[in-house]
Amino acid sequence: MKKRALMLLLVFVFMFATACSNQSQSGNDSKENSSSEKVKLNMWVFGSTGYEKLAEEYMKDHPNVEIKIQSKQFEDHHNALFTALSAGSGAPDIAMIEVNNIERYREAQDRFYNLYDFGAKDIKDQYLDWKWRIGESADGSFLFGLPTDIGPTAMFYRADVFEAAGLPTDPAEVAKLISDWNAYAQVAATIKEKTGKPIADNIELVYNALRDQAPVQYFNEKEELLIEKEPYIKQAYDYTVGLIQKGYLGSNGLWTPEWGNAMEKGNYATLLAPAWMQGVVKGNAPNSAGKWLITNMPGGAGNWGGSYLTIPKESKHPKEAYEFIQWLVAPEQQLKSFKDMGLFPSTPSVYDAPEFKDYKDEYFGGVNTAQVFAEAAQKVKTVYMGKNYTVVQSEILKALTNVQKKKADPEKEWKEAIKRIKRQLERQ
Amino acid sequence: MYSFLHHDFLEGNTMVSHNHTNTTVRPKGLSDKKKTALAGYLFISPFFLLFAVFGAFPMLFSFYLAFQKWNGFGEMTFVGFKNFSLIFTDPLFWKSIYNTLVIGLLGTGPQLVAALILAVALNSAIVKFKSVFRVAYFVPNVTSIVAVAIVFTVLFSEQEAGLVNATLGLFGISPVSWQTSEWGAKIAIATMIFWRWVGYNSIIFLAGLQSIPKDLYEAAEIDGAKKWQQFLFITVPMLKPIIVFVVFTATIGSLQIFAEPLIFGSGFREESMTIVLYLWREAFSNNAFGTASATAVSLFLLIIVFTTINFFASNRLDKSGK
Repeated sequence: MKKRALMLLLVFVFMFATACSNQSQSGNDSKENSSSEKVKLNMWVFGSTGYEKLAEEYMKDHPNVEIKIQSKQFEDHHNALFTALSAGSGAPDIAMIEVNNIERYREAQDRFYNLYDFGAKDIKDQYLDWKWRIGESADGSFLFGLPTDIGPTAMFYRADVFEAAGLPTDPAEVAKLISDWNAYAQVAATIKEKTGKPIADNIELVYNALRDQAPVQYFNEKEELLIEKEPYIKQAYDYTVGLIQKGYLGSNGLWTPEWGNAMEKGNYATLLAPAWMQGVVKGNAPNSAGKWLITNMPGGAGNWGGSYLTIPKESKHPKEAYEFIQWLVAPEQQLKSFKDMGLFPSTPSVYDAPEFKDYKDEYFGGVNTAQVFAEAAQKVKTVYMGKNYTVVQSEILKALTNVQKKKADPEKEWKEAIKRIKRQLERQ
Repeated sequence: MYSFLHHDFLEGNTMVSHNHTNTTVRPKGLSDKKKTALAGYLFISPFFLLFAVFGAFPMLFSFYLAFQKWNGFGEMTFVGFKNFSLIFTDPLFWKSIYNTLVIGLLGTGPQLVAALILAVALNSAIVKFKSVFRVAYFVPNVTSIVAVAIVFTVLFSEQEAGLVNATLGLFGISPVSWQTSEWGAKIAIATMIFWRWVGYNSIIFLAGLQSIPKDLYEAAEIDGAKKWQQFLFITVPMLKPIIVFVVFTATIGSLQIFAEPLIFGSGFREESMTIVLYLWREAFSNNAFGTASATAVSLFLLIIVFTTINFFASNRLDKSGK
């Protein structure tokens, strides 16, 4: 009888366990199949990458490999991945990680395969240096992921607003007119005076543009906070504060309905944004074809977004996984991703392809936007971001928002922000 | 399922009787009483197993984590009470408690009064289509918080053209920065809570109202009591247990306000930082699970304090009523 009761209990536990084990199913699959011929690879991506199509192409040439791609939303994807990696169970064979999110894993090297062990050094030269560097550990000995796409930034501008302000509208002339940040502030004054419109819709993108052009950002490779020692971030802050106080910047929050609306209405003059913002502009402003144009950003370029492909340590087939991702992010495939989904390539050799040279976007006034962003991509500075990057970023933006919305004293806000940053860093 | 179990027991019994040839008295199987008990435990075991894994374990683990430094990966290091001293010296932590209490009061105080009035109105004979109203009142409560918060974010837009600001403009009030001003953020979030819970609480009040015997009102009417007197001296005292229940749950609920400020207040601003949001930021934005757990433990103690105050207050209310 005791045995029977025990059996019954086991049945319950078993039922319970199977009910909960859906998530770890993927891990089991690959284990079972390690002896058989077919290798199953689970891959997690976010957003629309178009990788499903490429994976099919790969499977045709590699009949022994089966790739299953699971696509989630940005937030869900990164949260699920963090949980799986933290728990040490349930992670896929290949995981896509966005550039800001990869900073979270700086201290979790033991959860990933070092891609240098699979010969990633050999393909390093094909990629943009700054992009490759972010995928490495601080000392450069460990490679978390292979670069996929990037988000080089340029200046979108409303030709109609420029025209109303009596300014040139041709991309080359605008680039010449706004060659540095002083010129940007002067143009802001002109536009404000002539049209009453702000030069940019919000503080964040202007500040980000300046930040990205600094030789060092928030941390050094030892994860020491630099913003008090080095002048660059404070300069970016001060410049943004200057524009805010003169009323040159709008106050629409990114991604709010008003922000989208203003794009269509042309309520402001410039948008300092990455390549993928082209799709957002088209979506928000379907009737503004020909009014938005794109040219170089003053002072250089930055990067916003883009991802890496990593191989979590749980994978049973790291070699096959590596072979696949190496193929997937090779120049030829990146060109396909660019053509199909607009993912901007991180391999500069692609920029010379005819598809790039002859690219034209009628929406953006027939400008070869691909070329503009390709030039920007090569100007991005190589910087170390640091694992606590988002803490600093969000506190500085908070200070700038207070300066704008509450007319707060910028020096006091800066000091408060540093205090808040240090308080949070203590806990890491 | 039952017959299957029953069969087992019978079989077990026969085994026991076989063994009786032995001189030892101790039966090998279980007695009937124990078997029934065992069966009972097995039937309720799914809940307890699930609760142990998804409820009890995380709770106990956060007590453990509160004394560790951990970033979600790697080794945990024991740090004693350092996590607590870190959060207790953080003005933002105290601000978050203050915010939670203020938003809680703003969101639940007027809401309970409104819920009671709505319930009395629904209970009166004048209102038609009662069930329609009941459903309509309850719908906000089953609406996804995220959807609600997004819609309210649009309503309480900071721009002049935002619906609330435009409406205020009609009365000559200048636009309010709903997301970045001290009181604007709190009022907006409290409004969300009001909207979501007023119907739920009025349905509970309504249930209480319907259990009050009609003859009390009839007697009062004969004695010449006016409607408002009936409300004050019959309805409210008779509803006391319901009111106590609603105040209890509303207090605990308002200490845990989270999703509304997360979605509404952009970027963890201090005006809308509640204690659970603080906890969430520590854990899932800053990867500081130690201080996050210390915050959770502090919140736990805070809730105990408030519930105790509630408990004694309602006890005294009970006694003074008698």
